[in-house]
Amino acid sequence: MSDRKPTAAERAAEIITSYDGPPIRIMEVCGTHTHEIFRLGIRGMLPENIRLISGPGCPVCVTPVGYIDEAVWLALEKGCTLCTFGDLIRVPGTELSLAGARAKGAKVEMVYSPVDAVDYAEAHPDEQVVFLAVGFETTTPAACVAVRKAKEKRLSNFSLLTANKTMDNAYRALNGAADAFLYPGHVSVVTGTDIYQKLRDEVGMSGVVCGFTGPEILTALALIVRGVQKGEPFFANAYPRVVTDEGSPEGRALIAETMECVDTEWRGLGVIPQSGLKLREEFAAFDARLKYGIPPMEGRANPACRCGDVLQGILRPDECPCFGTACIPEHPVGACMVSDEGACSAFYQYNIE
Amino acid sequence: MCVGLPAKVTELKDGVAVINAGGAEREVSSEMIADLAPGDYVMVHAGMAIAKITGDDEAQAEDVMDGLEDLLS
Amino acid sequence: MNETITLAHGSGGRQTSELIGDLFKKYFDNDLLTADDAAVLPRPEGRLSMSTDGFIVSPAEFPGGNIGKLSICGTVNDIACMGAAPLYLTCGFVIEEGFETARLERIVESMAKTCKEVGVKIVAGDTKVAGKGQVDGVFITTTGIGVLPDDMHTGGACAQPGDCVIVTGDVGRHGCTILLERNEFKIKADVTSDCAPLSTAVDAAMGVTHDLHVVRDATRGGVGTVLYEIADQAGVGVTLNAKDIPVDETVRGVCDMLGLNPLYLACEGRLVLVAPAEYADGLIAALRETPYAKDAAVIGEITEANPGKVILNTEIGTKTILPLPGGELLPRIC
Repeated sequence: MSDRKPTAAERAAEIITSYDGPPIRIMEVCGTHTHEIFRLGIRGMLPENIRLISGPGCPVCVTPVGYIDEAVWLALEKGCTLCTFGDLIRVPGTELSLAGARAKGAKVEMVYSPVDAVDYAEAHPDEQVVFLAVGFETTTPAACVAVRKAKEKRLSNFSLLTANKTMDNAYRALNGAADAFLYPGHVSVVTGTDIYQKLRDEVGMSGVVCGFTGPEILTALALIVRGVQKGEPFFANAYPRVVTDEGSPEGRALIAETMECVDTEWRGLGVIPQSGLKLREEFAAFDARLKYGIPPMEGRANPACRCGDVLQGILRPDECPCFGTACIPEHPVGACMVSDEGACSAFYQYNIE
Repeated sequence: MCVGLPAKVTELKDGVAVINAGGAEREVSSEMIADLAPGDYVMVHAGMAIAKITGDDEAQAEDVMDGLEDLLS
Repeated sequence: MNETITLAHGSGGRQTSELIGDLFKKYFDNDLLTADDAAVLPRPEGRLSMSTDGFIVSPAEFPGGNIGKLSICGTVNDIACMGAAPLYLTCGFVIEEGFETARLERIVESMAKTCKEVGVKIVAGDTKVAGKGQVDGVFITTTGIGVLPDDMHTGGACAQPGDCVIVTGDVGRHGCTILLERNEFKIKADVTSDCAPLSTAVDAAMGVTHDLHVVRDATRGGVGTVLYEIADQAGVGVTLNAKDIPVDETVRGVCDMLGLNPLYLACEGRLVLVAPAEYADGLIAALRETPYAKDAAVIGEITEANPGKVILNTEIGTKTILPLPGGELLPRIC
């Protein structure tokens, strides 16, 4: 090798791989981080005393079974056309996934954007279109833009089935699950970084806002290692090229003007107060639950599934009794095995010696 | 949770931006960024430009590593 | 002839004769294609390779090809992958009532053009017309026969540790083209299908050595799926260098937008070759001389370690597994 100066990524990797202190548990709370960390083989370079835990950051994984049941009911009982992100298609409901419902005649359209679902509704006036609105602060503004556009166009055949979630109280519910958190870069784009300073100051949680490329993930991990070594709760933004301190006031305003906070269920974590969103009164006509009078759905998850424990870092995916036997990506028992961003799916697919 | 795509804004009109990533073009909402202009680079998610991108990841990584101790507050 | 295909065109009567005469015979005409019940063929020298494939694609026409070209390339490429020179093809059409005749003619014309390029003859055919809604436009099934030298023994199980892995061009272009043409995700991009006959490429490789362990065309499921098949059949590992895998910039952009991996998008004009590493340079040079393999590249090697798995050396210098292909390609967005 030449004498060239090591790159930032190499310097970061050196800090990570040479760490030999007490064990550090780092939780990533973004499914895309989980996905990229596996895709880039970053787990393989970590020393034994640094453990990564895949937390509840994949919207598919935290969406309760009852939500899928509601969607299936809308499609099969009410004949609605479901517009959805591809991510949700294979998530098991109590009896059927959306793919299963499609095989029984349900109309399921994949879209790239919630606004595309509005365009679809406008182009198909004889269909009742429901967009399955899942996602966190990053994704919710797009759903808000969609519903506002539908209202502006006076569409009577478009509605949202909301399961949107917010992260702040979820972080608090996870306090103690890890020594430090890799905060989700694109959620932070909207929220800004105040919430992390508060988490540090109010409840002593540590973490670093992290981007999604190799150098970004490595530098964020290096910051965490150094931060933990300092021994005090810390926060840093390792993704400043995209995430600003103030975040996106426009994005937050879009959400606040369209939706309001509610208590909501997270698969595996139970109900977290004020961590969900539903449409405001003035958009009630676009709320699929009100529009169709969806009956309460209990949503029974397979009792053998331990996704909840996995999402909290209590159980490693491969420690679940279903893992790799009853539960594989082709026949998932739980949501974490469905999504490419799910911890179990990632563990299964990237099982490298 | 939130797949982001870095892309260049090529056109802007009435809250809609045309973005280009390696030749792949799509219309997205620009309602989340007040002062967007053609030529800007943005992060795109689910049909929305969610943030401006102000540099590349490698330069940022250099800054982060150079300022390691100061960043940790 | 009528502007659209009707059920009468499939009834065996006068209109059937008209369709065959005005369209199929006009384009497919050769000395072995007769009006009799079956073709009578001269006995070829050597061993035979035979393959059949059904083609359904929506839309039936796309940048870089159509279902007709696809149906010839598909079967020609399957035969070529055994090291055989394709000789004869048969084709069966199932056409939806109401299908535009001019469109059918474009499809048939490109089949004839591709056959001519490859030097293969269509020696028998069949046409059925199905009622509206029973098929989606047109389905084509082709069957082909080729002849191969006695010393050619390729097969998925023949890959050996130390072999090099070659791909004959950028990956995922056909799948990306079809995805864009369907316009479900409203993405605009200038991408052309890689749909092409690969018999000249195989011929060029055989000019370097007959000791080609595996030759396979990466169709459905893309190059990633083919590599997993080889790893499984031969009980070996495959290691790829991520930076060496050719991907068109625009295909990459589309994939990034939808969270898809180009290694799992279909190709219709790409070979995966596995051969002893000593032939790597010669094979690349020979392949690049042929029209559809100008970007041929060595992308990895066969290993004894990690049997049944495909390992990627990533852009940041780590190793990871290429995840096994799933079923339906689902964009990952939220």
